[in-house]
Amino acid sequence: MEQIKEYFHIAVRSIKTRSLRSWLTILGIVIGVFLIISLLSLSEGIKQTINQQLRSLGGEMIFVMPGDISNIMAMFTSGTKLEKEDIEAIERTRGVETVLTMSYQSLVARHGDEGKTVFMSGLSWEKGIEIMEKFQGWSLKEGEWPTPGKRELVIGSQVETEVFEKPVKMGSEIIIKGRRFKVVGILNSLGSKQDDSSFYLDLSLYQDLTGEKRGTAQMAMVKVKDGSDVNKVAEDIKENLLETRKRRVGTDVADFSVITSEKMGDIAGSIMAVIQFAIVAFAGIAIIVGGIGIMNTMFTSVRERTREIGIMKAIGAKNSAVLTIFLIEAGIIGFLGGIGGTFLGTVLAKSIEMYGQVHPLFYFSASITPGLIIFGLVFSFVVGCLAGFFPARQAAKLRPVEALRRYE
Amino acid sequence: MPTLVIKLENVWKVYQLGKVELTALKGINLEVTPGAFVTIMGPSGSGKSTLLNMIGCLDVPTKGKVFLKGKDISQLSETQLSQLRGKTIGFVFQEFNLLPNLDALENVALPMVFQGASLEERIKKAKELLASVGLEERIYHQPAELSGGERQRVALARAFANDPEVVIADEPTGNLDSTTGKKIMEVLTDFHKREGKTIVVVTHDPNIASYSEEVVNIKDGQIIVNHREAAQVLWSK
Repeated sequence: MEQIKEYFHIAVRSIKTRSLRSWLTILGIVIGVFLIISLLSLSEGIKQTINQQLRSLGGEMIFVMPGDISNIMAMFTSGTKLEKEDIEAIERTRGVETVLTMSYQSLVARHGDEGKTVFMSGLSWEKGIEIMEKFQGWSLKEGEWPTPGKRELVIGSQVETEVFEKPVKMGSEIIIKGRRFKVVGILNSLGSKQDDSSFYLDLSLYQDLTGEKRGTAQMAMVKVKDGSDVNKVAEDIKENLLETRKRRVGTDVADFSVITSEKMGDIAGSIMAVIQFAIVAFAGIAIIVGGIGIMNTMFTSVRERTREIGIMKAIGAKNSAVLTIFLIEAGIIGFLGGIGGTFLGTVLAKSIEMYGQVHPLFYFSASITPGLIIFGLVFSFVVGCLAGFFPARQAAKLRPVEALRRYE
Repeated sequence: MPTLVIKLENVWKVYQLGKVELTALKGINLEVTPGAFVTIMGPSGSGKSTLLNMIGCLDVPTKGKVFLKGKDISQLSETQLSQLRGKTIGFVFQEFNLLPNLDALENVALPMVFQGASLEERIKKAKELLASVGLEERIYHQPAELSGGERQRVALARAFANDPEVVIADEPTGNLDSTTGKKIMEVLTDFHKREGKTIVVVTHDPNIASYSEEVVNIKDGQIIVNHREAAQVLWSK
């Protein structure tokens, strides 16, 4: 132990002597670890946020949308709707308890003198409130739920300050297509920028405003009866929809997406897995490059210090002593790089998280766990030692007389 | 009869320089008795440095045997040899060969580190040794901050760190002016007389040889004269 302490001392001295090169080498590791820590913590944070949102969907929900989920843009822009017959078909499917229909569209809203295009969602309050509270995690920060049929609005948490210059308050008047609406409730954050900057109103009022045919909708959320198999119900809904379409328009091509929240989770999960894999792969490459940097520095160091190695061996250093000194040196470089990288990575991840809170694109937290930090430090130390091993072994194997003779 | 510190038995050393073979030592037989002060002299290229490497167990012979304290070094593992060398032999080199990153005290203490001495022990001994070579004021100076003579005195102190039985010096005054060189030789001689240590010095400087009791002349890889008897004559000066 006494000896290791002294070897450590010698290694530190040697790093200090070559400070510029040492720092450049450390920088190589810093970049690698920085990438790993920041990207992993952010992707882990995104994953957690997604999971949280999915959990708030509740396990027993089925979402029915026209179009194909795998082509999201086409789905939202196609303008296809769930017709009245479609909704009825969903409602009469076995195992379905409640069908909550929703529509959404961008409309111009005026607050004071200012007009802005905003996202409006229409949903039936009568059926809707309970489901939204229970399964979508909706809750009011202020005010109350609107009375069905009255021209009242609930706004997302960001509408208050982010949408109009003039803050929107409880009781503020919003004019949409010449009709006056009163803000009666403000929601707590729902976890996405789009949801939080939307306006919510009763579906029938929404349809009056937009001219959408009564009884139709853009999307339906289905609550399944207790004890029913969600996947089975989803299958049945699909079948019923297909049959309805066939009967009505004589085509057996029905383009619907019927997705359970579980499946949504699977989709999100597999996307995240791909992203994380890519992150680990790229950061891994960065670390390998950093490791090669250490190896290069250590080889140079061994060459430069051949004479020193010769001296140490002449005055009684065993091979293992020389090996240990060089390994410690490489380990320190790796470890310092790890500290720097972990620190910078944490700072970056936390700044992005803070930026996301101030200018919300989407909410996510950077997940920096003690485990991740320890991983960053240990990993970089190990990379340092591994990269230092071959140079160290080369140093240890030098014959004292050859080492002393060199550069004479 | 006491065990010989170092014994060389028909030692040959052949270097392979590309396609050319260079025989540096040709069947050397040499015995270093405990407490002797031996000078090895010879012109450059005579093989004296090679011989010194053999005596110091820094190199292994191509043919023949080297015994360190009666042990055939070819039978020792590299680790055992390092350990034994570190304990038995102290080195002084022409270029001082101090570690540039360590201060004087640390340089002197380093051989003790490799022998597993405790920190306290090392500091105490290193301070004593540095004081004995007159450097008590400079113990925290790095080699670059010391003059040539001071560096060589640090190197001398280091050579004595593990209380070795033999100190091997390769042109210890070669890089110093004559006054400084003389001081260094005085320190070395003093150690020899006071502690009764064995000293082996390689030099081409006859003045250095005058300090010793035994002069070995080497030429073309062979010992040509062994002036054991001449010692008295030299020493009486």
